[in-house]
Amino acid sequence: MRESLPDRRARMTKVLSIDKSAEEGLKELLKFLLENGKVKGVIALRKMGEDGTISYSLITSPEDVGSTMPLFPLMPVNLAKQLSRLTLLESATEPIAVVMRPCELRAFIELVKRTQGSLENILFISSTCGGVYPLKMAVEGNIEESLPEYWKGLGKGELIPNTRLACQACQYFVPYTADITVSLLSNKEIDKETTLLLNTEKAEAIVEGISGKFSERDLDTAKIEQIRSKRKTEKEKLSDEPELKNLGIDDITKTFSRCIGCRNCSKVCPACYCHVCFFETETSQYEPVYYERELQKTGCVNMLSDTIYYHLVRLFHVSTSCTACGQCADACPADIPLWAISLKMGESVQKTFDYLPGKDIEEGLPITTFLPEEFAGVV
Amino acid sequence: MTTNRKGALLPAGGNLQQGILDFIKQALKQSAFDAVLMPSRVPAGDSFAYFLIQSEAVLGGATPLSPIMPVQGARVISSITRHGKGKNRIAVITRPCEARATIELSKLGQIDLENITVITMDCPGVMPMSDYFKDTGKGDRVFEDASQNWNSQPMRPLCQICDNFSSVGGEDLHIGIIGMESDGILLIPCSLKGENTLSKIGLSLGDNIADWEASVSKLTDERKKKRNQSNEGLRSDIRGIDRLLQAFSKCINCHNCMRVCPICYCRQCNFDSDKMKFSFDDYITRGEARNGLRIPTDMLLFHIGRMLHMSLSCVSCGMCEDACPMAIPVSQIFTLVGDKNQEAFDYILGRSVDEPLPLTTFEEEEFLEVEQSYAGVSPGQEGQDD
Repeated sequence: MRESLPDRRARMTKVLSIDKSAEEGLKELLKFLLENGKVKGVIALRKMGEDGTISYSLITSPEDVGSTMPLFPLMPVNLAKQLSRLTLLESATEPIAVVMRPCELRAFIELVKRTQGSLENILFISSTCGGVYPLKMAVEGNIEESLPEYWKGLGKGELIPNTRLACQACQYFVPYTADITVSLLSNKEIDKETTLLLNTEKAEAIVEGISGKFSERDLDTAKIEQIRSKRKTEKEKLSDEPELKNLGIDDITKTFSRCIGCRNCSKVCPACYCHVCFFETETSQYEPVYYERELQKTGCVNMLSDTIYYHLVRLFHVSTSCTACGQCADACPADIPLWAISLKMGESVQKTFDYLPGKDIEEGLPITTFLPEEFAGVV
Repeated sequence: MTTNRKGALLPAGGNLQQGILDFIKQALKQSAFDAVLMPSRVPAGDSFAYFLIQSEAVLGGATPLSPIMPVQGARVISSITRHGKGKNRIAVITRPCEARATIELSKLGQIDLENITVITMDCPGVMPMSDYFKDTGKGDRVFEDASQNWNSQPMRPLCQICDNFSSVGGEDLHIGIIGMESDGILLIPCSLKGENTLSKIGLSLGDNIADWEASVSKLTDERKKKRNQSNEGLRSDIRGIDRLLQAFSKCINCHNCMRVCPICYCRQCNFDSDKMKFSFDDYITRGEARNGLRIPTDMLLFHIGRMLHMSLSCVSCGMCEDACPMAIPVSQIFTLVGDKNQEAFDYILGRSVDEPLPLTTFEEEEFLEVEQSYAGVSPGQEGQDD
């Protein structure tokens, strides 16, 4: 991985502490921003009126902050994809604040690099992330009862049971480009105090006037490294499963054998932004003569045979930008462990290019960046 | 069900699935068709897919009664014939709901039936994919046991209330298996193509279908009752916009229901098109007007729009619900609406290939009660809740 960028400022990060639990303190900040006209709107998870479902919502009134649950451990949709939709035709014309997880933020940065959205006028709030629960748990309705365990695990910086496997294996749980980072992991005070790291000058300016304590400190790198090494061990354990270990063509064939060809993995993927997927174009539709020829060759044609081709091409297309959010696996009706396949593929491609997707908006996409000295061994 | 139909009995040695395969083998050998399209286990063994088959060896391993429906058969037939009929004459072995969707798609110009022989069979239902994939070995046993006893309990919720599990009318040939355990399979031609298939393999028709018809009609009545009950129960749950919104509340707007639906054939769905992309200011305005804007936006609009587009052709196969990552009872809701709409137009899906689509047929005398109440001519109709 490329060395991290030189610190934007030589001094330590300015920190705002609010005398409330992390979620309440963050809500206080959101309310402050709306009440004082510092932002026009806020996008965050919210408990919906109809039945308490947790969904992302765009709110514009400070009164609605009460029903938000900005740190609720669920990712109903990858917000990067939605934020791209909101800023695709035009940039935000007025400032908004968005609360998103580190992998969503990285995915959005990738989309902006691909001109699918705009950073303008957006205040990014993220957190040191303990992961989210699978969508399946939202269906079964048993997330609420796991919340005490979740928050306890966050404070201790432990792996939280039953969270997405992609989350348990995630190394990039500290946001790179957030204006404000809520310190959650290994923060024993999260039920009493909100610690907001003001990473940018924009963040420092926008909180001016809020009541709270200001200090200067950075995230405890030793603790962060501890968590990272736990996750790394977990990742190795998870990707050692027999069907995921080698991922040669035989394994791939077996892993994708249950695929029903619905391509829902691409529809929920923030990196799959094509308006019309190649596999839905006329190029991928065959004339009857194609089937006649195939039939002559082997005496039988598997009508779902394009699925592996589709998955390989999709992996090829998204591998430099995949942030391993795990949305694909959660949305798969056949329960294929797509998260692990994307993670493995992404990791190895990204390592080859010395590129971490979404880390830095200034860093060019590997495929569009020509380096004369690259891949000397191959050429 | 008409009573003047005739059938040919083919002994199956106690194994109905094998009986179906033997019949197909014979028909292929006698060139009744050039290839057959039917489900078979995938090479890895843990799922099923449609295979276009010519080789007799491959045919031996096919599974006309597969425990799950990973893809709706009509979609597969459409992918083969959408660009025209091709040279091969193909027999497709489908479930009744797949055949009905096939007939709908042919009316919608998405399937060319000229070289296709549609063969249906009495259907015990299919299991939800999520149940089957949890433990495929157990799934195979559960399905085998349930299908032999016509126990629909482990099947898709819609299979449990399906009253169209037998001959649909518009197919070419139907295979009767319900109540036929010891006798064999009953081959009932429904068109000239079907009759020709049977005569090619030298089968003659007899008046032997009364017992089978009785079994079908008994189960049909039971299922009709169950379907009405289920529809009525659901109706009160989803009545009005608030309750409908609640029913779809967990929706993540992935549109997978639309992509696996055999009837949703549009290349580019309106709800995925540029028409549904708005300016930033538009989102803010909507957020301000409604105390917050749910993201993804336009979720309920999509479902209502899709309902409007396809409910007259909805075959209640349950594919949408099976492919929904949030386990929303989409197909039950669509069936409730579809049943009502189809009834209003007196339209029975799959009954005949020649029957035109209701929305393309103008009848002067249609829906007078609706028009009159709008015109104020019929005060008696006003204020009615339904």
